[in-house]
Amino acid sequence: MPYSAEISRANPSCFIFLIDQSGSMAEPIAGSDGKRKCDSVADAINKLLHNLIIKCARGEGIRNFYEVCVIGYGAEVNPGFSGILAGRDLVPLSEVANSPARVEERTRQVEDGTGKLIHQKVKFPIWFEPVAKGTTPMGQALSLAHQLLERWVPKHMNSYPPIVINITDGEATDSGPIPQAEALCNLETHDGKVMLFNCHISSRSIDPIVFPENDNELPDSFARTLFQVSSPLPEGLRELAKSENFFLGPDARGFAFNADLVELIRFLDIGTRASNLR
Amino acid sequence: MEPTVKAFWLPKKGNSIEEYEDAFAYSKRHFAVSDGATESSFAERWAQSLVKKFINTPPAIFQDHGLSFQTWLTPLQEEWHRQIPWKRLPWFAEEKARTGAFATFLGIQFGEAAKRPFHIFDVFRKRRSPNVWQAFAIGDSCLFQVRCNQVLRAFPVEHVDQFRTRPTLISSNPGSNKPVWARLKTTEGDYQPGDVFFFMTDALSEWFMRRSNAQARPWNQLLDIRTETDFALFVSREREQNQLRNDDLTLVVCHWKGNEAS
Repeated sequence: MPYSAEISRANPSCFIFLIDQSGSMAEPIAGSDGKRKCDSVADAINKLLHNLIIKCARGEGIRNFYEVCVIGYGAEVNPGFSGILAGRDLVPLSEVANSPARVEERTRQVEDGTGKLIHQKVKFPIWFEPVAKGTTPMGQALSLAHQLLERWVPKHMNSYPPIVINITDGEATDSGPIPQAEALCNLETHDGKVMLFNCHISSRSIDPIVFPENDNELPDSFARTLFQVSSPLPEGLRELAKSENFFLGPDARGFAFNADLVELIRFLDIGTRASNLR
Repeated sequence: MEPTVKAFWLPKKGNSIEEYEDAFAYSKRHFAVSDGATESSFAERWAQSLVKKFINTPPAIFQDHGLSFQTWLTPLQEEWHRQIPWKRLPWFAEEKARTGAFATFLGIQFGEAAKRPFHIFDVFRKRRSPNVWQAFAIGDSCLFQVRCNQVLRAFPVEHVDQFRTRPTLISSNPGSNKPVWARLKTTEGDYQPGDVFFFMTDALSEWFMRRSNAQARPWNQLLDIRTETDFALFVSREREQNQLRNDDLTLVVCHWKGNEAS
């Protein structure tokens, strides 16, 4: 059965995040108090890396179940880590854990054990900073992901297939995304093809469409194009999404349209929880 | 009546021996198995401390239906917390350890007939009161009692599809144990010469139940295992044929020998 390989240190998997950094990402995201889209996405990516690291932490170290890469596309198309990891593409998770660009201190509400909510200071490591400048060269970003995975896949044929998550607020301004996305999703390990999930984030507060099975309700050709290049969710991820109260059918694809802040985070959470960690 | 006991264990394929996170312990009358949750940190210490304490100082759980269990755990939780090298941990390891370690638990005690309260009807029925075992469990580590080539009891998992769900686990973090108390299962039964008890963590339990459902008498295969090499061969064969999930494995076999005709 495809998409069932165990994720282990001997057979790690990988995530690539493609982040739209075009000028319009400076507009506020729906579902937030005027927070810029680029800030919301940067927070979501940093939080997601944080969660992934905690998930893979064991005892005093980290098990390298994943390699991770962030690619920003806007005025330039480049690997997007800041600080020590700047310029690096696929980085083993233990190295990511030990190399945040900086660590902020934030407060969050937690339960104190007796049911009372208290404010607690928590460390919030930052690996990725918000940028909003230039156009939307989505095709180039997908090509860069393809180049990286073209080298990675033959070395990891027994691995759970890589997942590429593209987060954007607009239409590609280059020849993308169809030919580049098709080439990317034709790469495959013995366990299945590379998966591409697309998340369109919105400034407008209208109901998001998450994990649709067809493009009937999508409003424009851009949304339909992104749907067309989004991978079907394998059974394991569909079950996981259902248990997290998403409604989705057997042909659901890894696609979200008009996602607000809450749906962006939920979408990313499902996309990166390819389980079966060993 | 005395039991003959054999125990075997192996880590997941791909992991080192140090990364084995199950635990087991036994004395003549007490047996315990625990499966440290791989997703949590320092789970092997937690599982070890649970089984050791059960053998040395079992809780009064069978008398009070679980009420004393919480108090019984407290010193273990404090000890686990004390043993974590907090100051030395990097940020992620500290954050992970703060969520606590988690483990399944299965504890069994075998009573002797003489210790059972005498019942006047036993005299009229001209029979001895039976030997009684009692067990309690949280999660999916299992016991199977086999008598006359049949599974007499399976506890606490009764259906094979229950193995793929996320079990409730005992935490080293007192605040995380609220769901545990209501899901603690207890049971009891009798035993006699010739009975064999198998105590196992989930992967092997699932294998056992599937084979048993298929009338394949898996106990005979396990009874044939005499050495660590036998066990390793059995495991690698079953794993290769995808019959046995890749996970830590623990098997304790307790065979009550004696005059088997009685």
